[in-house]
Amino acid sequence: MTSDQKTTVLILDDEPIVCKRLKPALEKSGYEVESFTRSREAMHRLTERQFDIAITDLKMDGMDGMAFLTEVKKRYPETEVIVITGFATMETAKESYQKGVFDFVAKPFKLGEILEVVKKAEAKRRSA
Amino acid sequence: MLHRLIRFIQDITGYMQQRRSLEPEYPFSKLFKKFQNILASNNEALELIADMGDKLGGDYVFDKQYILSTYEQLKNHVFRLVLDLNTLSPGKYVRLFEVFEDINDTIQQELSGKWVLPQGDFAILYPALSQDMYELVGSKNANLADIRNILDLPTPDGFAITTSAFRAYLERNGLCDYLVQAMSLWDPDDEKACEEIASEIQAHFLSGSFPPEMTRQVETAVDALQRSNPGKMLCFAVRSSAWGEDSIHSFAGQYQSFLNVPVHQLLDSYRKVLASAYAPGVLAYRHEKGFQVQELAMSAGCQLMVNAAVSGVIYTLDALSGETDTLLITAAWGLGAPVVDGSVLTDRFKVSRTPPHAIGNVALAQKSTMMLPEAAGGTKTVPVPDSRQHEPCLTQDQVQKLAEMALLIERYFKRPQDIEWAIDTEGKIVILQARPLHIRTQPGCTADHVAKAMSDHAILLNNQGIVVQRGVVAGKVFVVRNEDDLLNTPTGAILVARHTSPRLARVMRRIQGILTDVGSPMGHMATIAREFRVPTIVNTTVATRILKTGDSITLDASQNIVYSGLIPELCYDEITSEDVFEESYEYRLLRRILRNVSPLNLIDPHDQNFRPSGCQTVHDIIRFVHEKAVQQLIHLGDTRTAQADATSKRLKCAIPLGLTVIDIGGGIQAGNAMARDIGPEDIASTPMKAFLEGLTAPGMWSTEPMSVDFGSFMSSLTRTFSAASESARYTNRNLAVVSAEYLDLNLRLGYHFNIIDAYVSDKPNDNYAYFRFLGGVTDVTRRSRRARFIGEVLERFNFRVDIRGDLVVGRIKKLDRDIMIEKITIIGCLVAYTRQLDVQMNSDDDIHQHVSDFFKGVCVHDIGSENNGFNTG
Repeated sequence: MTSDQKTTVLILDDEPIVCKRLKPALEKSGYEVESFTRSREAMHRLTERQFDIAITDLKMDGMDGMAFLTEVKKRYPETEVIVITGFATMETAKESYQKGVFDFVAKPFKLGEILEVVKKAEAKRRSA
Repeated sequence: MLHRLIRFIQDITGYMQQRRSLEPEYPFSKLFKKFQNILASNNEALELIADMGDKLGGDYVFDKQYILSTYEQLKNHVFRLVLDLNTLSPGKYVRLFEVFEDINDTIQQELSGKWVLPQGDFAILYPALSQDMYELVGSKNANLADIRNILDLPTPDGFAITTSAFRAYLERNGLCDYLVQAMSLWDPDDEKACEEIASEIQAHFLSGSFPPEMTRQVETAVDALQRSNPGKMLCFAVRSSAWGEDSIHSFAGQYQSFLNVPVHQLLDSYRKVLASAYAPGVLAYRHEKGFQVQELAMSAGCQLMVNAAVSGVIYTLDALSGETDTLLITAAWGLGAPVVDGSVLTDRFKVSRTPPHAIGNVALAQKSTMMLPEAAGGTKTVPVPDSRQHEPCLTQDQVQKLAEMALLIERYFKRPQDIEWAIDTEGKIVILQARPLHIRTQPGCTADHVAKAMSDHAILLNNQGIVVQRGVVAGKVFVVRNEDDLLNTPTGAILVARHTSPRLARVMRRIQGILTDVGSPMGHMATIAREFRVPTIVNTTVATRILKTGDSITLDASQNIVYSGLIPELCYDEITSEDVFEESYEYRLLRRILRNVSPLNLIDPHDQNFRPSGCQTVHDIIRFVHEKAVQQLIHLGDTRTAQADATSKRLKCAIPLGLTVIDIGGGIQAGNAMARDIGPEDIASTPMKAFLEGLTAPGMWSTEPMSVDFGSFMSSLTRTFSAASESARYTNRNLAVVSAEYLDLNLRLGYHFNIIDAYVSDKPNDNYAYFRFLGGVTDVTRRSRRARFIGEVLERFNFRVDIRGDLVVGRIKKLDRDIMIEKITIIGCLVAYTRQLDVQMNSDDDIHQHVSDFFKGVCVHDIGSENNGFNTG
């Protein structure tokens, strides 16, 4: 990817408020963002294009964030995945890291916090 | 579930109460353990409450799950508290279970999406409306209630007929099913058929009957208004206020309003307002936007008519010109309806958005007609007298006042506003309605444009503090160093202070933003800044050094940056593009929950309302349990001296305090376990040490004999103990319960009764100090002077202060350990200083003299000389 292209971010969270607040904040910081509240739609979007960074909740109503994480990394190993969750257990954390997650952010989080993690993920992508 | 558990526990505790005389009581050490549990749960519960309050500032992203799980934790802590208190004093506070159950029920209902309203929910007077009732009363009513109740701007008296009333009306008249059925035939391509459907629906609405309860509640509301306007013939403006009406999809102007409606036609007009929501054009619009017919929830506002001499509209941004610093006021004589629908020519004033709001371009029109109310109801259009047709409707002063009010409203709602206003025949400005003004972001105002504007300005502070409330404002700095400064704070200033202080609340309405060097995002000031949505950053450490009064800055509390100079592009970008997070469902839900959780009503433990039935919120219960647990521990210390001996010590110090100290963990230096007497040097409790240091500071505890004048001598003779009868038992028995971080002190000195309750640790969030002072002797005037003196000193040290008669309560919380120690030392100084004070309070001037003497004394000892927002008088 070239440096004058915007870094692309996918957000998946079944709580609309998370997408609603995260999307404009990331856009304001210069990212190109798409957000989804349904994993099926997010999965489908993955078949159409790659994202530099994916942000996903782990525990959502009627879907499995872990499956989404697995799918992203299988399809695009170089996409950095950031997990946001309110229920981080040792087990899920371990599994996520085994699957190659970039970082964990506990809910609720400050916008500044997640922006910092996204910036780090972006730096890693660009140096790769 | 909780319900059954509570019943079970009530049975058990009742049983325990009966068995009490038979069973051996718990050993003292076990009860201490309970007490420690109570302290721990108390702190954790308070922490959760503060944490939830902190989330309202917008810096956090949280979801509904957060609200549910945090409240669940809180509930468990409070349940434990109530349980432990009932173990500590068996069966004495069983009633508390029921009170907690009631409060919990209310909160659970809110969490499940139901509205819980004490006064019935069909008709609600404006002063009784609280924030976040959009779903119930529609945007128009909700906004107007905020403008009145929070911003304290003049609005018409009146009430809302709610969406619940609307639903009851639909149900009673079988309209729900009918609507779905009627709309199933809707065919957008067949205009004639659509019109028939619409007129049939409208006819159904107009012929419906009202639920009796609804009629009754409307009558009650009208009666209340009649009582506050005695002898006046009430006439109303009846306006629609649909849920969602003013939000993303603008239905503005599509529903009908009725002006000057007399009481006997009120419900009829209400019905017409409902019917107007089913006019052909409105139905077509909603159908096209994909709304289901049953989605509509209609509320109406019934406002007393304003006897308008002039009326008009303000756009806080001049949408047409695209100028970023101009607001537009249009005005005409008489009532405002013709201005709104554009049927008359109006005067137009372009005004600068920056204080003091210079008036730019003024275009006066020839105003040939105006609308006036008819005496018997309804309106008429009459010619304007020749002499006034060319006269401007507004004076310069009125234009500026309108601009000021409009921008206050815009700042609160964080969107450009479209505001209807009137000036009555007595010259009073009244806000009739405010709704967001939908402005497409100007092509020139893209992110790049903003970025360029920002790049021209130096960054003064970058990520230096903690964001309390997000938002962007530009204006002039005003540094507040003392009380006089605070009173002189200019409107529209960005206030800069050394410390956060509850005192800043006084000017919260007129300032644009706040920056402080030191302070907590969870203190009382932070709560108020969030309520008023004033962009605020605290704990920057350097704001007062970097910023000077008069500096122009842009405070971006969304990105946590302060720029040099005014950047209107950034403010414009913020109010036109950023989503207003305060309006999202989760924020409103959290605020509603917190209304039943965080306000503290039980401030004074000696108030007769300080009992289980007086608890209105979760915080009240926590406070009640804590207070009663401490009292119970003191009581146990009294009655079980033998058992208590192992842990209770007498404090010997230079000042005769007659103080017994009970250590519940680490409050007394190890190594003195067996000694009965200890000295101040043996105290290990952080707050106790701080208090004693202040109490014994040289010069504070005056030993000079006081000259007592005859008047105060007589009144000291005649005043009995009754005011402090509760404390009479402790006359010779002052008691402190301490741990390494904790102090609860009941201290009677002469006729003064002090309570200090404090917790000081390395975790600022856990820290708090509560100080209560009640005095005796001398006459009422002197006593209240003394209370004012104490109140003033505490306020200057940034305590939150409540004064009732001669009772003073000061509270402060969530500061760093060192600052907390200083505050508690100040309390010590104050207790010592006040001991001899009442007899000297001969005039009001003495208050100021003593405040100044006290500060001098404190400064000599270098206590609080730097770290307290306002240092000197």
